[in-house]
Amino acid sequence: MRRREVGSAHLHSVFERTLHEQRRALVGWSLGMVALAATMLALYPTVHGNEQFSKLIDSYPEAFKSFFGVADYTSGPGYLRAEVFSFMAPLLLVILAVLWGSDLTAGEEERGTIDVLMANPVSRRRIVAEKWAALAVGVAVVAASLGVVIAVAGPAVSLHVGWGPLWASVVASGILALLLGSLALALGAATGRRGMARGVTAMVAVAAYLLSSLAGLVSWLRPVRWLSPWYHALGVDPMATGFRPFHLAVLVLLVAACAVAALVAFDHRDLGT
Amino acid sequence: MGSLDSDRGIPDRPAIVLDDVSKRYRGGGGVDGVTLDVWPGEVFGFLGPNGAGKTTTIRLLLDLIRPDRGTITVLGLDTRRDSVAARRRIGYLPGELALYDRMTARELLTHFAYLRGGPTWEEIGRLASQFSLELDRPIRELSKGNRQKVGLVQALMGRPDVLVLDEPTSGLDPLVQHQVHRAIRDVAADGRTVFLSSHVLPEVAQVADRVGLIRDGRVIAVERVQDLRGHAAHIVDARFAAPLADDAFGDLPGVDGRRVAGDTVHLEVTGPLAPVVRELGRFDVVDLSVREPDLEELFLAFYEGADATA
Repeated sequence: MRRREVGSAHLHSVFERTLHEQRRALVGWSLGMVALAATMLALYPTVHGNEQFSKLIDSYPEAFKSFFGVADYTSGPGYLRAEVFSFMAPLLLVILAVLWGSDLTAGEEERGTIDVLMANPVSRRRIVAEKWAALAVGVAVVAASLGVVIAVAGPAVSLHVGWGPLWASVVASGILALLLGSLALALGAATGRRGMARGVTAMVAVAAYLLSSLAGLVSWLRPVRWLSPWYHALGVDPMATGFRPFHLAVLVLLVAACAVAALVAFDHRDLGT
Repeated sequence: MGSLDSDRGIPDRPAIVLDDVSKRYRGGGGVDGVTLDVWPGEVFGFLGPNGAGKTTTIRLLLDLIRPDRGTITVLGLDTRRDSVAARRRIGYLPGELALYDRMTARELLTHFAYLRGGPTWEEIGRLASQFSLELDRPIRELSKGNRQKVGLVQALMGRPDVLVLDEPTSGLDPLVQHQVHRAIRDVAADGRTVFLSSHVLPEVAQVADRVGLIRDGRVIAVERVQDLRGHAAHIVDARFAAPLADDAFGDLPGVDGRRVAGDTVHLEVTGPLAPVVRELGRFDVVDLSVREPDLEELFLAFYEGADATA
């Protein structure tokens, strides 16, 4: 059958529309990431090789340093770990992924557009799968923009970081965000309620962060820190150790589990009621 | 039943079959034991007050919600098991129409055309100009009537075999309503099937061949429109200068229902009006109205008729 392109819109599939709808938001989040990276890079010269700063940091309590990921603060990787990857960058990515993931199907149900979408011959599973894929691509683009800025602009402020540690940290942050976004998608797909999906996922995210960060301080938490996806992503310190295949595999499996749960849950429900 | 008199002869199977379909909600509402056949070439009007179960039935047809009991087939396809195949044959206009507000109508219709792999832009453009639809403004800037037109165009495009319309003319001005009714008749004349819901009788009376009455989730009657109207063609209300005798207007032909209260009389007339008018002439009429019955009166007339034959 004959089709004709209309304008420049890329609207061939639910996947394309989902990205198309979020194009401005994705540009905004990417610029936010660029701004975060640029700010941190701009501040780096004041700590780099600054002995007073080193002494000050050394004088902090071990607990403080452990919780905030502060080690080797005046070196490039140590600075990035403390200022970018221990909290801020993953937090922003998680917020993006959870807001978006919770909206993917539950938003269509709450706004009522699910009716007109389901008027098309598209299976529920395909809707969820394509929306999940759009989420994954969007998160990857925003995460990548952070890595690119650091890799490109870092040397200009004498911030040198190896390819492995940098991209291992970026990938870990991105997969962590995708995992929580997929959890929010699954909860939204299972209930049709965006607020609930966001609330529960936010609690999971906070618990995961605290478990991973406190495990360095609280001895009885250490044996259970593997329960925290934050631990598998950033608790294992990719900035020092590079890619950690086992831990990444755990995260990928969890992402897959959430995506499958979303597919199954959405397939077995009354929509938009 | 159906368009038995059409040139195509007797269709061999119904286009839509609901077989003992029930769907109950915890908070109340839903439908109970709905059984219906709708035939190709037929416009079936689903008539009932708001909250009676019309939208529930339609959303069951689209596999948006699943029945507790019973099965639904569209063109022989089980709407649960063959959901995608069934929906490929259906054009659907939701009752509470929500669209992707930030898209233009052109973008939305293009997107849906791709998802369906069917309609060409030539066809969409033709429908859009038929309804004089503005294509290039964001949908959020369109009036309710224009949004409804977007919904109608997406339902009609691709010439679906079965058209399911939930309150299709709500929010439309009379001129556009007329266009919609004509489009519906065209679809049926084409041998395709239309299932439309409405809470207003005149709309159904105008376009439908048969009508199903639904109340409190139960289909209480399925009638040819002309038969249904036969139950009460006119309502006559009159007031007189003096109180009436209890048996006034008692023996008139074609009067189905009669209520005398003091100096007023309420008549449901199925036959010719002439005898009623002659009888009225014998009294000192102060006030008089003759009108077509509204939905509620139609229901009442129908029940009374059913009671009388029972």
